[in-house]
Amino acid sequence: MNKAEQNKKLASFKTKTIPTWCPGCFNFQILAGTEMFLKEQAQKEPKKEWAMVSGIGCHGKMFDYLNLPGLNALHGRSIPVAVGMKVAKPELNLLVYCGDGDAYAEGIEHLIHAARYNSNFKLLVHNNQVFALTIAEPSPVSEIGYKDKTNPRGVKLAPLNPIRLMLASGASFVARVFADVNQIKQILGEANKHKGFAFIEVLQPCVIFHPDASYKSRTYNLQEKGHDKTNLSLAMEKAEEFDYTNPSNKIPLGIFYQKEKPIFEDII
Amino acid sequence: MKITIIFGGKAGQGPNLLSEIVSQGLLIAGYYVFYSREYQSLIRGGHNYNILTFSDKPVSSNESKIDLLICLDDNTKKIHKSQLKKQGLVIEGEKGNLFYAGSVFKILGLKLEILEQTLKKMNKYDDFIDEAKAGYNFEKRKLIDLKPLKNNSLDFMNGSQAIAEASLSSGLELYYAYPMTPATPLMMELGQMQLDKKSEHKVIELESEIAVINAALGSSMVGKIAMVGTSGGGFDLMTEALSLSGMAEIPLVIYLSSRPGPSTGLATYTGQGDLNLALYSGHGEFSRIVVAPGDIEETFEKTNECFALSEKFGIPCILLGDKHLGESKFITLKNPSIKKVFKKKNWPAKFNSYEHNSEGIAIEDIETINKNFEARIKKHKDIALEVSKLETYRVYGNKDSKNIILFWGSTKGAIIDAFSESGIDAKLIQLLYIEPFPEKIKEELKGAKKIIVIENNATSPLSNLLSEKTQNIIEDKNKILKYDGRPFFSDLLAQEIKRRIK
Repeated sequence: MNKAEQNKKLASFKTKTIPTWCPGCFNFQILAGTEMFLKEQAQKEPKKEWAMVSGIGCHGKMFDYLNLPGLNALHGRSIPVAVGMKVAKPELNLLVYCGDGDAYAEGIEHLIHAARYNSNFKLLVHNNQVFALTIAEPSPVSEIGYKDKTNPRGVKLAPLNPIRLMLASGASFVARVFADVNQIKQILGEANKHKGFAFIEVLQPCVIFHPDASYKSRTYNLQEKGHDKTNLSLAMEKAEEFDYTNPSNKIPLGIFYQKEKPIFEDII
Repeated sequence: MKITIIFGGKAGQGPNLLSEIVSQGLLIAGYYVFYSREYQSLIRGGHNYNILTFSDKPVSSNESKIDLLICLDDNTKKIHKSQLKKQGLVIEGEKGNLFYAGSVFKILGLKLEILEQTLKKMNKYDDFIDEAKAGYNFEKRKLIDLKPLKNNSLDFMNGSQAIAEASLSSGLELYYAYPMTPATPLMMELGQMQLDKKSEHKVIELESEIAVINAALGSSMVGKIAMVGTSGGGFDLMTEALSLSGMAEIPLVIYLSSRPGPSTGLATYTGQGDLNLALYSGHGEFSRIVVAPGDIEETFEKTNECFALSEKFGIPCILLGDKHLGESKFITLKNPSIKKVFKKKNWPAKFNSYEHNSEGIAIEDIETINKNFEARIKKHKDIALEVSKLETYRVYGNKDSKNIILFWGSTKGAIIDAFSESGIDAKLIQLLYIEPFPEKIKEELKGAKKIIVIENNATSPLSNLLSEKTQNIIEDKNKILKYDGRPFFSDLLAQEIKRRIK
């Protein structure tokens, strides 16, 4: 590959489409982090074939901005599409994007089974704790008391804890990051090294409907604190630290758990 | 000559194996055989039975009256005794299905060598022969003295086997399904065929029908030939992704094996109540193909055409069947013609569930929206043109008759058999393609004095479709409908037809 070709490859992860996300939206961070990761990968292993699947919601627009082949799937259904793509073409390097609506509401069955199958794709859940594109309805991870026009009396149910769910479902790679360009790039690198399904929850404030400014300052990195990511019980304990509601909770980031197991498309 | 036998017993007593042994013997002796299965939604106990009809002429249905009743339990006699003809015989006792297999051979006058030959052909000689021979020697009565004939059926199989073989011949690589009767026999056929080294296809069970169809679309998108199969309830779950197939132009073949009744309905029975589901399911406006074969040869050819057309146009093709087609065993008299299916190479590209431009990126501008809708309308016409080159319907009987009988799907066997016995003057039209609707049907109906529609359902969706497409109103009294979960019997159907066409 000559220099000109290489430059073309680097630029080629962007489409010409101008993003329509709100100014300051944290999706820009996730997009930029992905692009940086892909550029680095393209330099290291230019022959690797990358693809993507996205769901429906603000996150789904990633599909229009990232120049990767794939499908902008139905709401909640990116995961089974990804399973089918990997079964058909195991050599494909596949990034799958979901919102908290896709992954934790409409398509939660697929999330649980994805952990069980351990199909070798990397899933990023853009968790902004709200249905943003339909104008602020609560999602399964909205905190108690969260209000919007459709529920002025506030949410009464405690939010789901997706980290705990994924650990219990047998996911072989469970991580959480904040929607920050460097964190995205870094965790995609780690997930890419992992052979199997990688679950990455991206905590992402919604600047319009769920703007929790304290999130970033409350986070700390598990790896920096010497967390043993091979220990499932410890991972469960760490999953309990942040309940998506209490504003005084510390928020653990990084890899909660990692353990290789057989890959779906290799064994079927 | 036509003989009908019922083999009945509890689930687990093996009435199905018994009727298979007898069928194979009759085929070796040169007779034409057909059998249907009635079984309940349970694994052990209950009452299961097979109805077998054979003749020296081709036969593809059962009669309501029986010549021979084989009872593997007491219940069978209680339930079916009233169906026995005057000279009919009953085989009963404490023995098992293999013993009575021997008895049936004897009672039909088939030579012991044919019994031996049959078990050898089934690779069951060593396991079964002693018991079968004991039954053969024990039985002293004779219902008929069958002389070997020279007739040759090419094959004897059910619709599920035909779909499985035709799919693999069409290049099927991945079959996704969630178990649901009566579509599961296809999953079993394809599952077993994975053990056959000749094929490298995979059968994959996922967590739900929703996962199944979305995964199949994912596989199809990156270049594999994929298929899904289900019954009505599972199909309902798939319909959002059916619409996705239409929007993103991803090819997919869907086997919809109907059950009777709404909701869970009747899991293990037959019915044609899902015609409108196949035609109109899925939101938005997009093209699809719906085909409904009525026998084994048609099942081969139409399955093959589903794969070819879905690939060519990037559309969902629905192969509409039911338990009667999928689980009854039919003879074949003609080799089906299977054409090579060309997989279109679409990958890598961007596919989109949202309205999108030619690069696969979401759009909302008026110009592109209009362009896309117009492209879909044109595609609909292109599909109709392509399909019009195929055999979209069949005509039987007196082609000039003013009496017309219309039908589709698995009712074919009983209708053809009833018609040939009734001696009435009529033209029979069997629809093979329901969507796109064959335009020539309108011409075929010109000048008709009486139009009769026969369907295995309660509201006759075909009659409504005919009104819409051909402006012929089918009077209620000319609809012959059956909705008890069981297929038509040819003798009763002949009476129904004769009541309407004198």
